[in-house]
Amino acid sequence: MQIGFIGLGLMGCPMALHLARAGHRLHLWARRPVSLEPFKDVDAHAHLSAAEVAKHAEIVITMVADGPDVAQVCLGEGGLAEGAKAGSGLVIVDMSTIAPAVARDVGARLAAKGIEFLDAPVSGGEVGAKAATLTIMVGGNAAVFEKVKPLFEKMGKSTTLIGDCGAGQVAKACNQILTGVGVAAVAEAFNFARKSGVDPARVREALLGGFAYSKILENHGQRMLDRNFKPGFKAWMHQKDCSTPWSAAAWAKRIRSPC
Amino acid sequence: MKLGFIGLGAMGRPLAGHLLKAGYALAVWSRRPEGSAPLRAAGARVCASPAEVARHAEIVFTMVTGSEDVATVVLGEEGLIHGSSDGGGLFSTLVDMSTIAPSMARYLAVRLEERGIGMLDAPVSGGVTAAESAALAIMVGGPAETLAQVRPLFDLLGKTIVHVGENGAGQVAKACNQMVMVAAIEACAEAMCLAAASAVDPLKVRLALLGGAAGSRVLEVFGARMVDRDFHAGVEARLHHKDFGILLDEAHRLGCPLPIAAVVRQQLNALMAQGWGRDDSAALLRVVEQESRRK
Repeated sequence: MQIGFIGLGLMGCPMALHLARAGHRLHLWARRPVSLEPFKDVDAHAHLSAAEVAKHAEIVITMVADGPDVAQVCLGEGGLAEGAKAGSGLVIVDMSTIAPAVARDVGARLAAKGIEFLDAPVSGGEVGAKAATLTIMVGGNAAVFEKVKPLFEKMGKSTTLIGDCGAGQVAKACNQILTGVGVAAVAEAFNFARKSGVDPARVREALLGGFAYSKILENHGQRMLDRNFKPGFKAWMHQKDCSTPWSAAAWAKRIRSPC
Repeated sequence: MKLGFIGLGAMGRPLAGHLLKAGYALAVWSRRPEGSAPLRAAGARVCASPAEVARHAEIVFTMVTGSEDVATVVLGEEGLIHGSSDGGGLFSTLVDMSTIAPSMARYLAVRLEERGIGMLDAPVSGGVTAAESAALAIMVGGPAETLAQVRPLFDLLGKTIVHVGENGAGQVAKACNQMVMVAAIEACAEAMCLAAASAVDPLKVRLALLGGAAGSRVLEVFGARMVDRDFHAGVEARLHHKDFGILLDEAHRLGCPLPIAAVVRQQLNALMAQGWGRDDSAALLRVVEQESRRK
């Protein structure tokens, strides 16, 4: 299949490589040429614009930083919509984490141009992207989902169609509430243990066996004990994501989300 | 070896049952007589006071509600301390499995040591289900020699037994457990409410999230209760409310900031104000919904 991929960063690069290794031909566009280097040895074509990518691909995946980037890549000047051939049935799959409202808006504007759109944000981080073990949360049309599913299966180990356009981003916002609060609570608890003269490593070990067990306690908890603050996931990205639940909450008629 | 068990509620009863089943002579006492009836039928000696338990048991387990309850059971007029060996009884080791303040655990350890009695603080996590299936996580504070002596008994009650540190350290670990666990319940409630408010099915969200980085026992167990809107208590919310009082007091004393726990405590306060204290802590969902005027 001819697959477009835009956004070849920490997450996007290994994800795109999985698709290439599965025998698909990649069409790429990157803001920085250095991002294209890992693709020298696979079947990949670099293009001069997102519009050019859209001309050559059946399905285009985007994995960029935030909502405005998605809107720009899809609908901006030289964007995907500009290059889409009429009646080609182009599918755009945005795997970035953005606000549900932006996903719905982009989806509606693309639909008006005859372009299908799925929001399909992921959880699992760089480790999950490299190991193709991501959790993928999808919003959009069921038939389009079925068409893209074989690609999702090359990048993740669990893919769920949550609901209509935007529902994937809502699920991701829920994911970020759980992980964000989880990391903060573990940090708080370890600091409390240390201040009480108790070894946080023992506390982590004890907690892993009970109701407080979580992936966060297991993985982030260990990183805190090692004082390893190198980005598995860059904190500024989580800060951005934690504003996603707020904007999502505001959009959903101001529900209260105290944590 | 002769054992004693005090506090035969939802958690204590199955634990005492495991010890009986393993063939130990067991003396029991419970505030409410109906607590001890099933154990009497299983062969336990039902005593009239903690002191009487202490006269008949070398190692006594306590599983009661709060710091004051443990203090009364141990040091009160009819308390365990009056059945120690210098008073002609057998009592030589206390294993307190209740969730109480670390400072109270340390205080009791000192008071008991004066009488030559050893103590472990050994609070648990896993709830009634894990108590019944002997799969609890047990967090132990106290001397290694005392733990070595009690460990074979812990093996009958739980599957993860971790020696956290000196007396009080088990309670510190339990406080950490409660912070992480109930914060996760609150986060789960907020996420479920956000999904519903966005017209997205919370059931599908829970399923999608379980396998990923947000996966946790809380999402599995409490998330399912929220999806099913089943608020019957596994763990009564009033007990978590009590625990957050303990841990924020302790943090206050230490000058240790706990911003997330402080918010969670207020949510538990709101839950109590609604009269939902005997419901499951999954009812934190109802609190968030009410604040959002969604139910």
